[in-house]
Amino acid sequence: MKRLWTPSWIARHVAMVVLVTSFLGLGWWQVSRAAAGNAISWGYAVEWPVFAGFVVFVWWREVKHALRGAPTTGESQAPAPGTGPVATEQATAGADRPRPAVRRPVRVTRVAVDDGGEDADLAAYNRYLSWLNANPGAKPEDYPG
Amino acid sequence: MRAALTRYRVIAWIVGVVLILLVVIGMPLKYGFGNPVVVETVGQAHGFLYMVYLVAAFDLSRRANWPLKRMVLVMLAGTVPFLSFWAERRVSSLVVAEQREREQAPEPVAG
Repeated sequence: MKRLWTPSWIARHVAMVVLVTSFLGLGWWQVSRAAAGNAISWGYAVEWPVFAGFVVFVWWREVKHALRGAPTTGESQAPAPGTGPVATEQATAGADRPRPAVRRPVRVTRVAVDDGGEDADLAAYNRYLSWLNANPGAKPEDYPG
Repeated sequence: MRAALTRYRVIAWIVGVVLILLVVIGMPLKYGFGNPVVVETVGQAHGFLYMVYLVAAFDLSRRANWPLKRMVLVMLAGTVPFLSFWAERRVSSLVVAEQREREQAPEPVAG
């Protein structure tokens, strides 16, 4: 809650209250004008409260954004371990830019990570290919292995 | 994002034109010649169109992740005759440039 009482936030709260009270006041003034016989004022009497409501909506959305956004910035800086070299590199590239509240899924092309463990079939096939390369003109059925 | 920008541009243009009609034609007619018909009709419509403008500007600012200050300035720019057109062009070029920048470095989905 403390982060909503910084000077800039107090200025926003004050601006919200001032705007809403003045918009509602203008709306009430239009209601009195309409009641006095100025029929066109009924429209303005509807418009001003809507604008006041919009101010409250934007203010509330900013408050929610501030409450939700502040704690997540810390964890977003550090990419989760084990996400692979591609994801880590992109996470550090995007860390200094502001993160949008809702993000589209991004398709990341995955690269095979050589973790040291050899696939037996792949190794055998590679040995076969290197044998073919070493014996040009040899037929596949001549392969000894 | 592109669609939100187009929506914003369309309504910004409409609101800008209506506002100029109001200021350049409506107000001289009402206060100079005592004929309030333009102000009464166009003025009323302008209020409701400006609501649509506010919603479009809010939607765009949310998608583009603008700071609050820029969103408020864009919203206020819609109330100033003639300046609203310059603001619309400025917003468009800014959004397009930022989006191009973002496309060059796509964000990861994990993290």
